[in-house]
Amino acid sequence: MIRKYLAFFRACWAISLEYRAEGFVWMLTNLLSIIMMLVWLSLSSAGPVAGFTSGDFVAYYMVGLIVRHMTGAWTSFDLDTSIREGTLSPQLVRPIHPVHWYVAANWSEKATRLGILLPLVALAFVLTPSAHLDVTPVSVGAFLLSLVGAWLVSFLSDYMIGILSFWTSQTAAFNQVMWGLKLVLSGILAPIQMFPPAVQVVLDWLPFRYMLAFSNEIALGQTQGERLLFGLVVQWAWVAFFFLLTRLMWKLGTRSYSAVGA
Amino acid sequence: MTSQIEVDHLSKYYQVHEKEPGLMGSLRSFVKRKYRDVKAVDDISFHIDAGERVGFLGPNGAGKTTTLKVLSGLLYPTRGHATVLGFTPQKRETAYLKQFTLVMGQKQQLLWDLPAIETFLVNQAIYEIPKAQFEATLNELDNLLDLESVMKKQVRKLSLGERMKCELAAALLHRPKVLFLDEPTIGLDVTMQARIREFIGEYNRRYGATVLLTSHYMADVTALCERIIVIDRGHLFYDGNFRALIERVAPYKILRLQFEQPISRLELATFGEVAACDGLTAVLHVPRVQATESATRLLSQMKVDDVTFEEPPVEDIIREVFAGRVEMRD
Repeated sequence: MIRKYLAFFRACWAISLEYRAEGFVWMLTNLLSIIMMLVWLSLSSAGPVAGFTSGDFVAYYMVGLIVRHMTGAWTSFDLDTSIREGTLSPQLVRPIHPVHWYVAANWSEKATRLGILLPLVALAFVLTPSAHLDVTPVSVGAFLLSLVGAWLVSFLSDYMIGILSFWTSQTAAFNQVMWGLKLVLSGILAPIQMFPPAVQVVLDWLPFRYMLAFSNEIALGQTQGERLLFGLVVQWAWVAFFFLLTRLMWKLGTRSYSAVGA
Repeated sequence: MTSQIEVDHLSKYYQVHEKEPGLMGSLRSFVKRKYRDVKAVDDISFHIDAGERVGFLGPNGAGKTTTLKVLSGLLYPTRGHATVLGFTPQKRETAYLKQFTLVMGQKQQLLWDLPAIETFLVNQAIYEIPKAQFEATLNELDNLLDLESVMKKQVRKLSLGERMKCELAAALLHRPKVLFLDEPTIGLDVTMQARIREFIGEYNRRYGATVLLTSHYMADVTALCERIIVIDRGHLFYDGNFRALIERVAPYKILRLQFEQPISRLELATFGEVAACDGLTAVLHVPRVQATESATRLLSQMKVDDVTFEEPPVEDIIREVFAGRVEMRD
């Protein structure tokens, strides 16, 4: 399997280098995080907002840039196209599950762009002495674990939407809804601590927080101890849920797949 | 001995929803969808032995591609069953997927933005082809298809013919035992069609691979396949030897004649069935066994300017088959 992934990476890497313009568009999508950071910075210039100082906002959104980058998923678009146009057929007759190709594509893209993103984020921390991170072995370990979990929740939920294309041609609409929910509920627009306590309790149990905010909170040292443990358990429970769900859906989907274009 | 490909009473029905044209039609279809069963394949059976080259003939929508998709494991049969190499295709077991290939003239597996060699390398990894074998196979394919000059160019910059060569190479690197080829020459010019055809024949001889080919170019099938299966609207019309079919449906050859001076139908009638005669030119249908003899007689008795022998057009023969005027099997 490792050899197969290496071959996939090689090819995906080469493809991603073909599309430099797309990389530029991707940089623009990060602008949203940066704009939100600037909004919160101006609001917190007079004093902390809901316990967040200016430094906290910089740290939150800069870590957020990395987490969003590492967890970004677009498999649903590719899968939707493949299913609608019938190009999934050649993939289905090869002796490897097509999802491995999508995973490889996802990772190689991240690798290409992490090199641009990391120095920028590092620079932001250097320029903002008040932005602190919680750098203890426990929090770093927990952060990395939560990052893997965040990637899996994001990737699998997006993959799930992609699999829906077996039955519906409305995948784009599902994606819109998903993006809307993520924007508000995963902590892109505002840290979840700013939400009313009742909403926060609900968000503790939904998958969205575990796609972004949870990892940010760990990095900033805001979620620790029992609450950290609880978060990891819920996050990985969602991972398991989406894993099993997508497996089942894939099985049913390929069954009903009518390989369009007879 | 059991056959390599066995298809028994196979049926595949699709459910399609019908929509009337226009906005109202869209609305009506949104509120209440009307479904209709399309019988793409309806109760067909055939067996194919290892190493056979079989041509699947039929007009568009006959069910050729559907059958190939069932055999490739892409579609679940509605009724009946199929086995290939002892496997049930729709289970898509790795051991099965490694032993056949599906080439679709209109769907590609090559990575669009990269040179074809990159797809070859990906397939090497996927099919777990040892390096030495990979290089040897690639080398052979290069000899047969002349890939050297094309496989390092970006796929999107290749011509259709060049791309098809690369598609075939990508599909055959793992040396499959069974080849399902769906319209492999579609859109290609006549020379390239012939090239691809020759190559498929050569691959079959070299590796003893079984070939099941669909095409609506008659030439593909006549050149490659000894056996044909004719289907239309999901039904099997004929399964058997191609030559035998021709001889049975059209037990005559066509003799085209040009005379120095006008001649009448009556004079020609003794040599064969007169299909056309306008004085100076005539077309005769002469029984196969007597063809040479009739021609010799004609040449000695009449002043003939020019004479040619032709085989009856295959299209006409197939039309006869569809019209139900031919027995199902030979």
